[in-house]
Formats: sequence, structure tokens, C-alpha cells
Amino acid sequence: MKVVTKSFLRYLPRRLSLSFLQLIGVACGVAAVVGMTLSAQTALKSFSHTIEFLKGKSTHSIQRPIGPMEEEFLTKLVQDPAVERFSPVIDRQLRLENGESVHLLGIDPFLDRSIRPEILKIEFLEKEIDPLKNILSFLTDEKAVLVDHHLKKEFETRSPSVLKTEKGPLHIKGSFPNPSGEFLVLMDIGQAQELYQLHGYVDRVDLILKDESDFLSRWGKGFFIQSSRQRRETFSGMLQAFRLNLEALSLLALFVGVFLIYNTAMFAVVSRRRDAGILRSLGANRLEIISAFLSEILILGILGGALGGLLGFLLTRILTDLLGSSISNLYFFLKPEPVSWSQWILVIGMGLGCGASLLGGIFPLGELIRTDPVKALSGRIAAPEGIRKAKRAALGGVIILFISFILFLLPNAYVYVGFAGVFGFILGVSLLTGMILLILHPLIRKIFGRIGGLSEKVATGNIRQNLGRTGVAIAAFMVSLSMSIGLSLMIGSFRQSLIWWMNTQIRGDLYIGKIDEAEVPEDFFEEMKKINGIGGVHPFRNAQTLYQNTSINVSAVDASVLQKYARFGWLNGGDENWEGVKQGGVIISESFSRRFKIKAGETITLEGIRGPETFRVVAVFYDYTTEHGLVMMNRTTYIHTFGDRKLNNIGIFIDPDEPRREELLREVRRKAEARGLPVLTGSQLHKNILDVFDHTFTITRSMRAIAIIVAFFGIAGALLTLFIERSREFGIYRALGFSTGQVARMTLIEGIEMGLISFLLSMCVGTVLALLLIKVINLRSFHWTIFYFPALQPYLITGITAILASLGAAAYPIWRVFRTYPQIQIREE
Amino acid sequence: MSEIIIRAIDLWKGYKVDGSVTPALRGTNLEIRRGEIVALFGKSGSGKSTLFNLIAGLDRPTKGRIEVDGQDLEGLGDRGRTNFRRLKLGFIFQFFNLLPTLTAFENVFLSLELANQPKPDLALKALKEVGLEGKEHRFPNELSGGEQQRVAIARAIVKRPSLILADEPTGNLDTLTGNHILELLTRRCHEDGTTLIMATHTRLTCRNATRVLRMVDGTISEETSNEELPH
Repeated sequence: MKVVTKSFLRYLPRRLSLSFLQLIGVACGVAAVVGMTLSAQTALKSFSHTIEFLKGKSTHSIQRPIGPMEEEFLTKLVQDPAVERFSPVIDRQLRLENGESVHLLGIDPFLDRSIRPEILKIEFLEKEIDPLKNILSFLTDEKAVLVDHHLKKEFETRSPSVLKTEKGPLHIKGSFPNPSGEFLVLMDIGQAQELYQLHGYVDRVDLILKDESDFLSRWGKGFFIQSSRQRRETFSGMLQAFRLNLEALSLLALFVGVFLIYNTAMFAVVSRRRDAGILRSLGANRLEIISAFLSEILILGILGGALGGLLGFLLTRILTDLLGSSISNLYFFLKPEPVSWSQWILVIGMGLGCGASLLGGIFPLGELIRTDPVKALSGRIAAPEGIRKAKRAALGGVIILFISFILFLLPNAYVYVGFAGVFGFILGVSLLTGMILLILHPLIRKIFGRIGGLSEKVATGNIRQNLGRTGVAIAAFMVSLSMSIGLSLMIGSFRQSLIWWMNTQIRGDLYIGKIDEAEVPEDFFEEMKKINGIGGVHPFRNAQTLYQNTSINVSAVDASVLQKYARFGWLNGGDENWEGVKQGGVIISESFSRRFKIKAGETITLEGIRGPETFRVVAVFYDYTTEHGLVMMNRTTYIHTFGDRKLNNIGIFIDPDEPRREELLREVRRKAEARGLPVLTGSQLHKNILDVFDHTFTITRSMRAIAIIVAFFGIAGALLTLFIERSREFGIYRALGFSTGQVARMTLIEGIEMGLISFLLSMCVGTVLALLLIKVINLRSFHWTIFYFPALQPYLITGITAILASLGAAAYPIWRVFRTYPQIQIREE
Repeated sequence: MSEIIIRAIDLWKGYKVDGSVTPALRGTNLEIRRGEIVALFGKSGSGKSTLFNLIAGLDRPTKGRIEVDGQDLEGLGDRGRTNFRRLKLGFIFQFFNLLPTLTAFENVFLSLELANQPKPDLALKALKEVGLEGKEHRFPNELSGGEQQRVAIARAIVKRPSLILADEPTGNLDTLTGNHILELLTRRCHEDGTTLIMATHTRLTCRNATRVLRMVDGTISEETSNEELPH
């Protein structure tokens, strides 16, 4: 190794504590990206594996636009010349007794053999019995199921032949291979119909078609026929916004990581500047200095990246499960396999670490190359240069902010443009930090000078004097704190908006049935209506369908009941909008309106049981149930259009002044429980929805925590470097008569001041960031309005975090002050 | 008469301070012959270090011209000036400017490596010559000031340069150590035929010089003998 390179690399072991902090900082940044990206990729890969596996050899599938399909059509399909093979399917979720959900497929084993031959490579539990008897037992036992090998393995230790579910115990007869990784349960279609009370109905029929156009000419009306590719695209489309937000979170983590590396690289430049000057005077050329510096930051990148890859892999263990349950809660059932270890994770981590190090090191490297050897040798690089650079950076910041502002103003711009704007905003504000620090300095000096003594004055002066270093550290810390405040405010506002929305739409006293499972019998609804004294019985049905080849939701409601009891938030008009709904019109959610650019007064066409039906859009309402768009119509219109009479749940409304109120509630509860139907009070339902919400945002919260950890290492590294750089100066202070305590106090004050300034700046930046996330990003990716609700808590928590991080970061330098004798400090390194 | 190794013609250098230009050199002219040992005597701020930085090609003049070995320094370009420092120039500083992360041996060897003569025995020999045998593997912070300056001298002489610039080489040392260092440096330059220019503000340094130049306010105002210098 060349001695020039060696002279730079030796700093790594010599300043071990600093190298360690830098290493951990890089590792945390890389871990966040690796963890988030791998988890998201695994979840999505698992999703496409499942889709691919379940599709089997089918080329198409046919189903009703909404709800199950009548079994009688199977005989017509048998006779259709365009159909080569077909297999009816019941495709449902099955909740296990422990609350976990698995995928249940009800199939006809004989018909399904040609579509999914792999599934039927069954290993029966009772191997000694004749296979034919086993098959017969699977077909005739109404509780018989086959589980995939993964699930069998999972339950082997518990009760090998019984699968305990919320629908009672099911008898496991055998297992089958399933390469998709998702837990899968197979049941005979007849038994599945029994289990889900779908007599005479199937969810869809998977087809192998000989002639698509011929088939479409006969079945195009009243059915949805999708090719396997379309089906995959429909599902992928549902995840688009979610995926985009995961990518954005990963990018945000990477941004903080790169900023931190920039921060540390900048510090490295400052401490190598004199060495670079000496080397230049001895005849080293720029290239030799560049390669020496690059080796140093690349070693940190490689080691930090490898450690980050390892930590990221551990992080996926938590994140993959979180993602799976979030997707299951919000979109469709998905149980992703945990990420399996591969040496590539280390390689990717190292690659990311190096890439981020290079990205973060580019500007510092330029700084080092431009270093004037004469000034570096004479030590004449200080405040004036720092001030000049701060002014130049501020100018760059203003230009970037202006560009970001234009990006936000672009009408109907794609969400990526919004993300670019947000990143631009963060970058722009970071560049302004030095200048803001200069402007605020006299005030800070005055305040600290008043409340403190000499140490405080010197400490405040030091921050300004070392602007090149402190400015970058404060900016990095400010970005992390702003992210914390911004994300907290956004989540808090979203939560408050959701509570407001629940109070407008979910106002019933009791809700019977589960929203995601259509299981409330219609006769129970009729029975409820007959109870005297109940103000309103509201039948609710929610189903998915396609609009312009995109998945949307359709809800059937009773407009009269909602007009009386609900207080919808309308984008136009008021509760008189229900009159239009009663007359056959529909109301659409804000997300539907924005997504498909449809306004009140216009019409939409949906595929119904008898072919396309056109509806007048009466009004647009605020809604957070689905970002894909919701069309709400009266139940009579819905049944007429889709022929689907199923009910997801029933809402019970009793007037507050009804004298028999409590008695009526008890009666309803008793009747529901007698039928085994779950009953929730309005507030319980609110709580369940908020639980799902909170669970969904766990990922965002974990990213916020990582940002804070990364920031902590950033500020700690910054303080430590400042200390090392100025240890000689500290020695002089002590030689002049400053006590060790005073010097330690000075270090502490510097740390606290930097934390405090970062926090004060982040209060403004974080608030604007929250507004941008709410008004630009959410609106463009989820198409819904979140109302901004100011809250004190995010500021308090972030403020405390900032001060604690600063104290923690100052602890080590203070320890060093107490440990080091002044004469050692004064002496030349 | 031996050939001229350095010629400075009407050299000007100004620095911007608070928006206005303060001249550090004001039309300096200089001629130094090969093998000469020259003391550049002047007060702090007279322009000695600026002149050194210009001769070393670390800085560029505002106006004027410097020739080294008959070649215009400006015309050499950045690469040419770097090569000049690598092969022909040795630099000794008042504050030693050793690389803190390298041992005494490595600091000296660095110079050889840059000059494309990576021979460890030469570095060891140079350290022995300056009296640092046995201390090759010590880091700068494990050496005294005098020892550090000896390493700096070894670093400068090891590649046998034709010119050594020593900026206040004894300015940071006590008188006795300073004398030893000066003696060592001038002796080595005499033996090797190396041109040595020493910037100084003390008479002591001038004693070892064969020629003394006096620098006042950015100009070399007079050439004087050692005895004429103020006490």
C-alpha cells in the first residue's frame, strides 16, 4: 500500500471512537434501506408467487362483477366450445383460532387436476389406508381439509390432524406441495360451499380457453372475464400506492444515510486538510490524495455497509411480518415468507455503503481537491471561508427550494414529481442552515451569554467559528428531527381525520357481522327490522369490482337510514344528496373522484349482472376506506344491478331518547349471539379501525426511529470530531486557567446548543414537511384529503429526543476532556 | 561561476483582505546559483514564506516570473510543478509538518515513494545520518521538537533534491537544538551540492549561510554580509 494512502487510513484505528461512530452511522443508514427494500420486495415477490401458483395453467377466469357466481352457469361452460378445461373455485380467507388468517381454496379435485396438477400431489396422513379411501374421506367428510407442507410443519407440534379455526375444528387429511410460501388450505368445493354458506354459488371459475374472442362474444355481458395477465395487473395495481410509499420511505432512510456520510466525510476532509497540504508540498498530486481519501471513505462504506446488510437482514424479520399484516389489513390476504439469508445481502449492503459513501463524499472530496496547500499549511482556513461557503450554499438552497416550489405547483403531476419536490425541499433547507445559523448567532450568543458565563460565550462562538463543520452537523440533525416531526404530524393528522370520518359515517349503536366477511344472513336483517323501537337498521354490503380495468369498491347502503343518522362529510352539498341516491344515483368517494377525474353531476358506467349500467354521480364524499375509490349506492339499486343480496354487516341505530334503549340493545345482542354473529358497539368498531391504522403505520414509525438513531450517531460523530480537532485549543484554555469542569461544560453547551438549534429549525421544517406530505404526497398517491391537525406531542417528543441525543453525544467528548491532561492536548499531534 | 538555479523576475503577489488587495511581494528580483546556501533574512510578514510558496510552485504570482533550472515555473503546468516538488525540491517547515499518522521512517520513505525511488534502506540511512537511528518506528507525537525537525530534514534530503527551502527551520526550537539542526542541514547541503534557502528572522540562522538576502516589505532590498546584520 502506498504511504500516502496509509497516512490517511491510519486515522481509522487512531481515532477509533470516531471511526466506530461513523461506521455505526453508515450501518444504520444501510440497514434501514436494506431492511425496508428487502422486506417490501419479499412481500411483493411472495404476492406474485402466490398469484402465479394459484393461477396454475389457467389462461382466464370468469366471475360476476360483484359477489359469487351462480353454479348453474357451470353446465353452460361445460358445453362451451371455446372452453378446453375449467375449474370452479371458492377463494376465501380462513381465520385460525389464534387469529392468524390463511388462504382457503375450495376446488373440485377432479376438475382442478388439469388446472393445478401440483396441488394434487397429496401426501395423506394415514399412509397405511388405501389412497382411494383417503380421497373418499376427503370428499365426504364435511370438515376435511388438505394443508400445504408449510402449514403442516407449523401445526405438526400442536395437533397434527386438527386445524382449529374460527369456523370450528377442521380435519387435516394430508398435505400437498406449495412453492409459493403462503399458507394454503384445500377443501372440496361442496364442503367449502357449506362452510361459507354459499349453496349454489362459486366465487369464480378458472378456465383454459381455446378461443378467447369466441368466448368473450358469448360471456362478455354480466361477467368479468380476465386473462391471467390482467388479473395479475389488477392485483399489482392495488398495491401501487402502498409500494410507492414503501419506496419513498426507503429513499428517505437512504437520504438521511447519505447526509450522514456526507457529514462524516466533510469532517474527515477538515481533519485531512493539513495533511493534504503537507502532501502537496512534498509533491503528491491530486490523484494520489483523491485515492487516499476515497480509500478511507470506501473502507468505512464497505465495513459499515456489510454491518448494515447484516442489521438490515435482522430488520427484515420484523418488517416482513409487519408488511404482510398491513397488506392483509388494507388490501388482500398476504403472508409473505421471511427473507432467507444470502451472502448477496452482505454484497448489497457493501455496495450500498460504498455508493452512499461515494455520493456523500463527492462534495467533501471536491473540497479537499480544491484545498489551497498554502492556506492549509498556514492554518488560514476558518471563519471567513466558512461564512462565504454558507452564503454560497444558501444561494444554492434558495434555487433548489424555488425549483421544488414549482414542482409542487405543477397541476396533476405524477406522485414521483411530488416526492422529488419533497426531497428538494429538505435539501434546499439543509443548504440554508449555515446562513440561518449566521443570522441567528448574535441572538443565541446574547441568550447564552445572559444565562451562562464565559464557557457559554466561548461555546456559542465556537459554533460560529467552526461553521463549516457545525453547519453540516446541525443540518443533518435538523433533517432527521424534521422527518420525525413531519411524519408524526402527518400520522397524527391522518389519525384525527380518520376519527372525524368515523364520527361522520360510523354512528351506529351496534354493528353485527364483520366488515370484511359477507356473512350476515338476510333473514336476520329482516328479523331486526321487525323489532319495535329501533330507529334504523342499516344493511351494509361492500364488494370489489372493476372500473376501467382498475379495482374499486362498491358499497350498498340504505340511503334513508344514513340520511337520518349519518353525517357524511361532503365535498359538495349536504345531506340532501341522499335524495338523489334514493332515486338510483350514486355517491363517490373523494379518491374515486380524483383518481378517475369524475365530478358530481357526471355519470359512471359499471358492469352489472345484465351488462353495463350507467349511474349519475350525485355527490362526492370524504372517505378513507380505500384509496382505490368507492362507489356508494342504495341497496335496491345495488341488488338490481349486481344481483348480490349478501350482507357484510348490519348497523343498529337507536334514538338516544328511546326509553327502551338499553333493553333493545340487549335484545339485538342476544339475537345476534344466538346466531353466532359477532357484535361490536360503535366505539369498539372505531377502536378496531384505529388499531388497524396504528398497525399500518408501525413501519413508518420504525423508519422514524431509525432516522433518529442515525441522527444521534451523526451528531455524536460531529461533536467528537470537533473535540479532536480542537483538543489543542482546549489544552490552551486549560493552560489559561479554565478548569476541567469549565472545558467540559463548554463541550456540553456546544452539544446542547447544536441540538437546540437543530430542533428549533426542525420545528419549522418538520411542520412544512408534514403539510407537504399531507397536501401533496398523500393527495397524489392516495387521492384523499387529510386535514391538518396541529399537535404539541410530536414537537415535545422530538425536542426531548434532540436534547437527550445531544447530551448523549457530548458524553464521550466530556469524558475525554476529564481524561486528557492539558499538556497532552497542547502538544503537536 | 556555477549556473543559476532560481531566477525571480519582478515578482508580485497580493492577497485579498476585506475586499482590498494587500501586496505581500512587490516586484521582488532574485538570482540564486546552484550549491549556494542562502539565508533570507526578514521580519515576520516581510514576504519570506510567500516567496517560498511561489518558488515551490504551491502558489502563483500575481505578476512576474520564476525560473527554476532555466524553466518557467508557470509554463510547467500543475503536473510539471508537482514533479518539480517530487524530484527537485525539499521543503522544511517551522512547525515540522510531519504526517501524524506515519512513523518517522514512513514520513521519510513517503518522500522517496513520491520521487519514485521506493528504497527503504535510503530512508533508514537518512534517519541514521540525522541521528535518529533506533527511533525509526516512533510516531511524531513520540518525538521531541528537535527530533521531529530532524525527521523533516531527513525527509527533505533523502531524495537528494537540487533545492531545499527551509522556512524558519529553527524557529520552533531552543538555541542549542537549533544550532545542531542548522549545522546538520548546511553540512548535508554542502556535501551534496544542494542549494539551500533558509527563511529566518534571527541572526543565528544567517551565520551558516554563504550569502544573506534581506527582505523588507515584500522586496529584497539589499544583499548583506552576515556581519552587517542587526544584533
